[in-house]
Amino acid sequence: MEPVNIVICGLGGQGILFMSKVLAHTALEKGLDVIGAETHGMAQRGGSVISHLRLGDLESSLVRAGSAHLLFSLEVNEAYRNLSYLARGGRMYVDADGDSFPRDEVKAFLDGKDVLYRNLPASRVAIELGSPLSSNLALLGYFSSFGEGPLFHDELRQTIEKISPERFRENNLKVFDAGSRWGKERMER
Amino acid sequence: MKEEILLGNGAIALGLVESGCQVVTSYPGTPSSEILPEVLRFVKREGLNTYVEWSTNEKVALDTAFAAAITGKRAACSMKQVGLNVAADSLMSAAYLGTVGGLVIISCDDPGPHSSQTEQDTRFMARLAKVPVFDPSTPREARDMAIAAMEISEEFKIPVVLRPAIRVCHGRQNIAPKGTIEPNEKKGTFKKDPLRWAATPNFRLKLHQELNGKLQEIAERFGELHDFNRHDLEPGRQYELGIVAGGVPYAVVRDILAEKNRNDIPVLKIGTPFPFPEALARTFMSACKRVLVLEETDSLIEYLLGDRSKVLGRLSGHVPSAGELIPDVICRICGDVLRELQLPQLDQEHESNALELLNSLEIPGRRPTLCAGCPHRASFFAIRKAKPKAIFTSDIGCYTLGINMGAVDTCLDMGAAITMASGFYQSFSQDKADRPIVATIGDSTFFHSGTAGLLSAVYNGARFILVILDNLTTAMTGMQPTPALGIRADGSKGKEISLERIVAGCGVDYIEVVDPYDMKGMVESLKKASEYIGEPEGGIAVIIARHPCIIAYRDDAIPDRKAVTITEDCVECNLCLERFECPALYQDEELGRTNIDEQVCTGCGVCLDVCPKGAIVEVER
Repeated sequence: MEPVNIVICGLGGQGILFMSKVLAHTALEKGLDVIGAETHGMAQRGGSVISHLRLGDLESSLVRAGSAHLLFSLEVNEAYRNLSYLARGGRMYVDADGDSFPRDEVKAFLDGKDVLYRNLPASRVAIELGSPLSSNLALLGYFSSFGEGPLFHDELRQTIEKISPERFRENNLKVFDAGSRWGKERMER
Repeated sequence: MKEEILLGNGAIALGLVESGCQVVTSYPGTPSSEILPEVLRFVKREGLNTYVEWSTNEKVALDTAFAAAITGKRAACSMKQVGLNVAADSLMSAAYLGTVGGLVIISCDDPGPHSSQTEQDTRFMARLAKVPVFDPSTPREARDMAIAAMEISEEFKIPVVLRPAIRVCHGRQNIAPKGTIEPNEKKGTFKKDPLRWAATPNFRLKLHQELNGKLQEIAERFGELHDFNRHDLEPGRQYELGIVAGGVPYAVVRDILAEKNRNDIPVLKIGTPFPFPEALARTFMSACKRVLVLEETDSLIEYLLGDRSKVLGRLSGHVPSAGELIPDVICRICGDVLRELQLPQLDQEHESNALELLNSLEIPGRRPTLCAGCPHRASFFAIRKAKPKAIFTSDIGCYTLGINMGAVDTCLDMGAAITMASGFYQSFSQDKADRPIVATIGDSTFFHSGTAGLLSAVYNGARFILVILDNLTTAMTGMQPTPALGIRADGSKGKEISLERIVAGCGVDYIEVVDPYDMKGMVESLKKASEYIGEPEGGIAVIIARHPCIIAYRDDAIPDRKAVTITEDCVECNLCLERFECPALYQDEELGRTNIDEQVCTGCGVCLDVCPKGAIVEVER
């Protein structure tokens, strides 16, 4: 398999590390080698957080500009901030309401690079289910519903079930499923 | 055994326990903090007898591990790179004395820097101390190197440094543990030999000569360590350009060359830059017309390669002398060098469009900030209110973020809040000038290196207010316990050390403990302390601002949760947004005034004392 580069970004406290963990464990279960890099320390205090994840026979943990096949962003401004990571033909999933993302000038850029972008009001989905800190899983569920790989719905769901701490498991799955339903509805429209 | 995805620091921990390490000590600091907890996790999982401790500082950690190593055990200590400065006294001397068992010193570098005051290169510290250094490129290699470092240390009876950079420490990779790990039951013995273990200068010369002999042998060994030092030259082939790389830059350049199918550029990987594997380097150099050196963060390999006419690197201006060598930077360097040498390019798509676009969007920067409900915010607001004109010396920890509130003027190194306050006092008092000074230092930082400075300041008659921000944890690095809690690294009970008694023991006569959530009370305390300093018999006044960290203690940190709202009395003066800077406060454009984000608000109620118009009020929940 050709290497897959993934960037996950947002703000400190949004569960970016957990989201990376779900993706990484799912990849490992599929027999893929994984390597990634995380933000710790000072930057976690509400600052921009970015996590790199690479699947395949690789040694370097960082995604190079212009090479991310997948970009997840839990915040709109962070999505803009990390646009340069996107590869031609990449896909991005953003926690944003309706058509609030992207701005027109960014739309032109993304179209020029054949980037597919999809929005989900992930925070709203998570808040409505009483788990305001689980927007990360709503976005993952949403991603999984399109079935475009390289990691798929059932595999991701199994990982969440397996690695969620006991007290969060049920809620995590609920939010993941809700995100996934949003995606399916969108496809039917 | 089933593969696990480990943090680089977890991989190092795995290597340590697999090598039979019996004693592990540490002082937390990004990016090293997770090593000790990961050791502990493996120790519990495998039922090992390894002793682990959070030491009060890095020098204590190194001395403790050293003592274990000269009883014949295998020991390790871990710290961040600037922590090794604190332990440097110990490292330099330990290199001469040598060990009996194994001693691995793990010092984690922070090119960037992401969470440190410098980008210093630990490999130079190893060179300065004359001890071998391993420089891993990946978490997996860090695990292998931890084991190899322990073996080299024990075989040659010399401390060995393992230097992972932040991308290794906080990288994640799938790794297969060896299988069952047996406890190392080796018993410690101490054979008295004062001429060695308490060597006087006369004997130190002999020890230095012995050390040089060990290094010579180790250099030869490193030349044969092909797992860590290797090249991919084809025999007899000559190349226009070769790359010599170590650490994380090796991993980056290896992936780029593989992706671009550039087998016309050979790579020499140097995993053990000191003592330098000379013969290997000579072979490589003679096969390449020019050699580009990629290493972090300084230029150790470049210096050691010698031949200036062939080598491209920082000294020749081809590689930036500051900042992390991220893949984009390495691509740019390679592109420039290939162009200069008129060799085929990397056919890299240019991403400058994206960066220009981003600049045009004017996305507001996200600076790190103290958490909503953080007791330090309350302390800083009170300090600014009580002593607005003071010089604010501060220190290393979450509370350095008090800079956002205008309540931090200096941050030099661990403990410098106190020593610099003392220095400012003496410098102004020499001029007969009266400048108020308020120093802030965290509880863990005070335990780490506050006492020597405090007793010196007291002894020398300095006068200032010292606020110890006691949040009952080491917050910035991930909530490690402090000595005040009486909880040890493994969760067992330890002796509780009282901050108040230490402060009194340093000769301070004025000590008051306050809860910063009571902001009015804290402002009063600061004013009283200020009066004390001005009295003829006055001196240093210490205020211990004690309230639990909101992240470590969560609900327990806020016993009395308050619902808060902002009324129409708000005149948008922005004082709360700029001076109090709580993440729960925001400018509500629809409402036309400041508002509170209920998802973020912790209900600490401290902001009730902040608004000059009294527009922040408590409401029924």
